[in-house]
Amino acid sequence: MPDSDTACDITPEASRSQAVSLLSLARVMLKVGATGFGMGMVGVLQQEAVTRRAWLSQQEFGDGLALANLLPGPIAVDAAVYVGYRLRGWPGATICLLALLAPAFAIMLGLTIGYLNYGQVPQLHGVFRGLNAAVVALVLAVAYRIGRSSLKSTPQVVLALLALAAALLHANPVTLVLACGVIGALTLVPRQKVVP
Amino acid sequence: MNLLRLVWVFAKIGAVVFGGGFVMIPFIQREVVQHYGWLTQQQFVDAIALGQITPGPILISATFVGYKVQGLTGAVVATLAVFLPSFLMTALAARQLARLRRNPRVAGFLRGVLPAVVAMLLMAAITIGRSTLWFDWRLLLLACAALLLLVRFKVDAVYVVIGAGAAGFLLERG
Repeated sequence: MPDSDTACDITPEASRSQAVSLLSLARVMLKVGATGFGMGMVGVLQQEAVTRRAWLSQQEFGDGLALANLLPGPIAVDAAVYVGYRLRGWPGATICLLALLAPAFAIMLGLTIGYLNYGQVPQLHGVFRGLNAAVVALVLAVAYRIGRSSLKSTPQVVLALLALAAALLHANPVTLVLACGVIGALTLVPRQKVVP
Repeated sequence: MNLLRLVWVFAKIGAVVFGGGFVMIPFIQREVVQHYGWLTQQQFVDAIALGQITPGPILISATFVGYKVQGLTGAVVATLAVFLPSFLMTALAARQLARLRRNPRVAGFLRGVLPAVVAMLLMAAITIGRSTLWFDWRLLLLACAALLLLVRFKVDAVYVVIGAGAAGFLLERG
């Protein structure tokens, strides 16, 4: 099966010759916000913005996730704002944030009012555990796609394994991402051509 | 007065909380339960639980706190305030990044950061999975099937999420 994931890496800029409309941004973010649970949103966002629509290349999306790791706020929300800003500047970023939050806000409001009136949290343990399985799969899918398209040299693979080991030993995520970036800036500087 | 306090507390939370998920829970708890007494401990635990069964970020629990303090206005204000700092920082950083990425040093930095990003994603999957999947091989199998559908067959995430929720429901009953 030909892989569309890697295909869009070859021509990252050419693939978005015309501006994405704010309406389609809003539609996609509503979908991401309504189906992604927690970190699962990152997976839905990648599938929609990179795999399906080629709004960004895997590499560019990965850069956005790097920013999201370095900045405060939930990773998926930061990533959505990054996508919006890259495509349509401030209006895009604003639309993305609001559309992403709209489903969650509406549902949370309903649940809050229900809770404050009846004092009960819906008992959905089974559903929740199933959803958790989907979240894990969505996050792993993002790791797989970015890993496959971006970890092209042995030093990068080694760095990824070292970073995972450090993360398992409870290293601070922000420090870890910064440290890997500094190692990259010192050792992985492209020689002839600059990364697009 | 309450509204201003809501803005201040939630903007502060939004500015210092990294990575989302469960890292921020103790911090929010200190502000909302201990310091301001807006919620009882039980209400706080339930608010987080509601945030988890709601799609979107878990931080949407801010809506709950805002509503409790000041009704609908409070809900809107708290929700916007908690996401405002990271929204501004991310958009500003995206703007800089677009300019800086032609610099070879920055390109090298990004090449180094991507492996870390992959590692952080794997770590997130491990952390989320550890709490539920680890003790139940059926859920583990469900996660593997979901991964296969997403990666190999490129199934729309919506169907994967709905299917997984339904499967979890059936597994619990059966």
